[in-house]
Amino acid sequence: MKLLQNSGIPIYQQITDQLRADILAGRLKEGEYLPSIRSLAKDLKISVITTMKAYEQLEAEGLVTAAQGKGFYVNAQDSEMLREQHLRRVEEALLEAIHAAQVAGMTNAELQETLTALLECEV
Amino acid sequence: MESKSVMKAVNLKKKFKGFELSIPELHIPKGYATALIGENGAGKTTLLNLLTGIRLDYEGEILYFDGQEKLSGSVQERIGYTGPGSYFLPHWTVGQVEEISEVLFDGFHRDRFQAVCEELNIPTGVTKDVKKLSDGNRMKLMLAAVLARDTDLLILDEPASPLDPLMRDKLCDIIREYLEQGNGERSVFFSTHNIADMENVTDYAVIMENGTIVEQGFVEDLKEKYVSVKGEAADAERAEKILYTMNRSAYGFEGICLSENMDKLAGMDICVETPTLFQISVAVMKANTSLKF
Repeated sequence: MKLLQNSGIPIYQQITDQLRADILAGRLKEGEYLPSIRSLAKDLKISVITTMKAYEQLEAEGLVTAAQGKGFYVNAQDSEMLREQHLRRVEEALLEAIHAAQVAGMTNAELQETLTALLECEV
Repeated sequence: MESKSVMKAVNLKKKFKGFELSIPELHIPKGYATALIGENGAGKTTLLNLLTGIRLDYEGEILYFDGQEKLSGSVQERIGYTGPGSYFLPHWTVGQVEEISEVLFDGFHRDRFQAVCEELNIPTGVTKDVKKLSDGNRMKLMLAAVLARDTDLLILDEPASPLDPLMRDKLCDIIREYLEQGNGERSVFFSTHNIADMENVTDYAVIMENGTIVEQGFVEDLKEKYVSVKGEAADAERAEKILYTMNRSAYGFEGICLSENMDKLAGMDICVETPTLFQISVAVMKANTSLKF
């Protein structure tokens, strides 16, 4: 896990983002336990409360469940919800591109052309 | 965030000539590292002396470990304390510190003491008296003596001050490792002026001013309660009435605003950031100090 101190993105958010990506990509499997909050804090050299906040956010998103005294384990990811999560990330990224295009003064047609061109490059 | 207490106190009072410590309610969460922050003379060491039982002449009640127990020999066995200066006699050698600690405490492990001394590179030669050690090495020696014991709570009065940057980083590692091994059962309470150096290990902050607690909470909650704001000089006049603390110059203003007041800044050309614990602490201290700015 890579944490940036001065990126403007809060540390807990960076942890949530990376663990979410690991869960959605299946790198962390259903039923698997996340590292304990205090051992993750130790390994990442951050405070316990920051790790705690990251885990609580994952729990609020329904990705993990807190088991009393045992830590947090990964929930079964239903494929419909998984796709929904991925779609949301695509929308977020596209929205960001749209805002950047507005700043750059691009027209909608130019933006669509760029997307088409990029798609062709990728395929 | 909810949490159990490792220490709590009600109506804690201690009067000196010209200074009064008065804390209606104190709660130090169990399983976390708590920083005690405040100006010189705010009463930090006095509070720590009451909590450790160094001073017993106070009013009020202090309860330890889940609010169950009053201070007793068995409670003190579970608490490790390091103070400013040194509590070892100046002519003791490191070897004698080890021998005497073993006599004084039940759960003292000589092998662990020696391992920590080696890890922290404390000079252990027979000729090295405690008085010949540097301030930094004396602090490391106190830490070694405390870490060699089986404890559930560390109370550290200004542990970072005499240490160099590398050793401060190590101190943070030591605190995190201590908490990890306790798996939620161990807590650390330390006072510090080196907030920035200790920020990565601070879970809960207690800020004192003029003998009382003026702010406390989990750091992640405090970072939501306060917002760091920067703006243009043209808005400074209006912003000054809204911000919690503010500095202004010819180029603009910067300061800390309570989140709940952020909507009052509507219409101003501002940039906002999540404040660091250092920024929050300075703002809270500034708002409560009798120092003139």
